[in-house]
Amino acid sequence: MHNLGFALEGAWKVLAASLILGAGLPAIFALGIRSLAWGAGGDAEVDHAAPNPAGKVLGYVLFAVVILGVLLGITFIVASGFGKALSFEHIYPTIVDK
Amino acid sequence: MFRRRTSGENYLRGLSPFSGWRYRGDADGVTETTVILALVVITALGFDFTNGFHDTANAMATSIATGALRPKVAVALSGILNLIGAFLSVEVALTVSNAVVRIQNSDGTPKDSLTSDGGTALLLIVLCGLIGGIVWNLLTWLLGLPSSSSHALFGGLVGATIAGLGWAGVNWNGDGSKLDGVIGKVILPALMSPVIAGLVAAVGTWIIYKVTVGVAARFTDNGFRWGQIGSASLVSLAHGTNDAQKTMGVITLALIATGDWTDTKNIPFWVKAACALAIALGTYLGGWRIIRTLGKGLVEIAPPQGMAAESASAAVILASSHLGFALSTTHVATGSILGSGVGKPGAQVRWRVAGRMVAAWLITLPSAAVVGAIMWWIGHALGGGLAGAIIVFVLLLAAAGYMYWHSRKTPIDHNNVNDEWDEKTSERVPAGTAS
Repeated sequence: MHNLGFALEGAWKVLAASLILGAGLPAIFALGIRSLAWGAGGDAEVDHAAPNPAGKVLGYVLFAVVILGVLLGITFIVASGFGKALSFEHIYPTIVDK
Repeated sequence: MFRRRTSGENYLRGLSPFSGWRYRGDADGVTETTVILALVVITALGFDFTNGFHDTANAMATSIATGALRPKVAVALSGILNLIGAFLSVEVALTVSNAVVRIQNSDGTPKDSLTSDGGTALLLIVLCGLIGGIVWNLLTWLLGLPSSSSHALFGGLVGATIAGLGWAGVNWNGDGSKLDGVIGKVILPALMSPVIAGLVAAVGTWIIYKVTVGVAARFTDNGFRWGQIGSASLVSLAHGTNDAQKTMGVITLALIATGDWTDTKNIPFWVKAACALAIALGTYLGGWRIIRTLGKGLVEIAPPQGMAAESASAAVILASSHLGFALSTTHVATGSILGSGVGKPGAQVRWRVAGRMVAAWLITLPSAAVVGAIMWWIGHALGGGLAGAIIVFVLLLAAAGYMYWHSRKTPIDHNNVNDEWDEKTSERVPAGTAS
């Protein structure tokens, strides 16, 4: 049953990476929406608080983080299509040969 | 177009102006192989097409269900992204069949024992395998069940190989050095990937609802619809790169078997273009029955759930292909959508529909294998040559025509895909045909 070992080894890595990207990025996106609502105030929130401009800025910063994450995903698809891979060796992603 | 002479072939020497080479299409026995090759290419593109419309739902079902995209816009977007994705898959997937059957050497060339007759033996196995995959894809589409196209293809190939070469022709368990074989590349990932995707989507959904407590629903829904469109697009692109490759590999294998192509490092451009177009057209056609089951049947999806589900799918698909962990987009997408139902407090999950899907997954590989094997036996009984190939091809057309005709009795298209899900109706008639 060597295959089971390999599969479990791959599975937990996939789970860890997917939790960060697949649940983490939507969570940041949700925070961004919450910030925008905070910034808009009034009907956007259940408690009808006054608008707060800081919320808008924070919201767009959070959206930018999500967009960067998505761009990373697209880069990965394109890079692997051309026989390249993304390396996280230097923390920030770089494109290397497979 | 030029083909090297092989000793076993029966043709008139001296007809060709090229010494030792012969132009395809000369009046001799070899045109037979060419016709079979053409049938294989057409059938492979047909499979690619069913692969496209079978999997539109994986990316777009949630966006259509929540109204983030109008149905026609969703399938058009997904089709275009699949087209782009397919062209991006430069990597050679020639050895795709090696994961499950032993008809190729490790460098991608076909086994010599299968090409000694000019390639017909290999072509028949590939043709029957593809037919097994198509028939199963069409049947599950008719029933509105999202089953895995890769399992259908692998199943068909396994069945045709067992029929043609015996049980030893199948790579069941790999050689122990890496994740390989039917168990390692097909069965284990199929068991694990929906669970992983479901878990990620459930966590994502739960966090999203926690974070946005106190924000007006109209405000969150608008925002999350945009998030949904983005994440669904990513899934479509990844699908194009992953799935079109398999058909490209199969067609190139057939071309190598007959000697029409020799380069194992590259794929002919026309093959790539044809496969990309076939999968994109299939996606654009939209498997509305399956979209309906995934978008309306499993869970009533709200935009935040839709975004969590598609993000989870995209992340799991990308992370797995990065780590070389083969899996089916369909299993991942279904797991994610279920997870988004589990993660939302108070959401209803129709476990009965989910159970029916899981049952379909379990029998996909063996069922496609049975079709593939029967087709091979029929083709073989008719001599294994041109007559056999034409008859199995005609059988495929008849089965496809019958299922299409059957589907017209309860049509589902972009107009009624989002109708309310009626559990009672869907009990009597197969899932997806409600209302």
